[in-house]
Amino acid sequence: MSGTSRIGEVMALDRLVHEPARLLILAVLANAREVEFGFLEQVSGLSKGNLSSHMSKLEAGGLVEVKKSFRGKRPLTELRITAAGRKALADYRQRLAAVMQELPEAPTPRK
Amino acid sequence: MTAFDESRLHELETLTRDYARYSRSAGGLASVLGGLCCIASYLAGGLLPSSPALRIALVALPLAWLLAKQVLARRYYQRFGHVEEQATATVRRTHAFCVGVVLLVAVLVTVGTRAWPFGAGKLGYLALLWLLVPASWFWLRSPLEFFVGTFLFCQAAVSWAGFAYPVVGTTAAAANPPMALLALLFPLAALLFIGTGMADHRRFLALRERLAHLRDAGDGA
Repeated sequence: MSGTSRIGEVMALDRLVHEPARLLILAVLANAREVEFGFLEQVSGLSKGNLSSHMSKLEAGGLVEVKKSFRGKRPLTELRITAAGRKALADYRQRLAAVMQELPEAPTPRK
Repeated sequence: MTAFDESRLHELETLTRDYARYSRSAGGLASVLGGLCCIASYLAGGLLPSSPALRIALVALPLAWLLAKQVLARRYYQRFGHVEEQATATVRRTHAFCVGVVLLVAVLVTVGTRAWPFGAGKLGYLALLWLLVPASWFWLRSPLEFFVGTFLFCQAAVSWAGFAYPVVGTTAAAANPPMALLALLFPLAALLFIGTGMADHRRFLALRERLAHLRDAGDGA
């Protein structure tokens, strides 16, 4: 693969999925039917605000569905990955694997 | 993304799947409790003389177990937030088939008991039998859970009508050996249920440690 096409491959990566926090959210959601916000907060280590911001971006992109309700008096936010989200994640991983495979070996440091 | 990130992502995916199991297929202590309830119901129903107190206890057993199971799942096993397990198409089909069988049995029994005299015994028996249909749909979702839960409801229904499944070695069993052998399958399944429940609980303890350390270690994204 030439350098130009390699750059093309990297540029073709879905920017919405490529961001590490969003990638993590999608990867977690892809392994369950429905996930409560609190669990994502726990496993991601992100702050509530940061997580909400990424969640909104993914929702706007149609990759996740967000359901807001109340359990008693406590607000409850549940997330679910959409079919488009699953596809985006699978495509992203496939492309990334291809890019990684084409990368040259790192040179061995001289003594 | 580095190779390290990919392995960390993989680890989080595994952790999510493991945690999600406790919403559906893994009962942990609820399975242990269910198994013990099943053995207690089998022995008490077959060995103790029938009395109103025993009937009430046998009816209360499946209901109390289902309640305890839900409380344990929500408040203990999914304390970090509810994560619903993704059931495969095969699991969903098997579950629907089992509930379908229960529904069919309920219909057949209802038709078959038309000749019974109308009274509290018949009403209670049929009510418990029909209660098993939604219970198995909503709460008895793993095969062992279904097996044990079905026995608890059936024993409750039968005892309410004044009967009990015979326990092997008793005179009632000698009068109906095939039924006694069939009934024996349930406490045996209960032992298996207890074993899987304990194993699930041990796995959860390790999972809980990992989850608790995730945030503390600051290895989030």
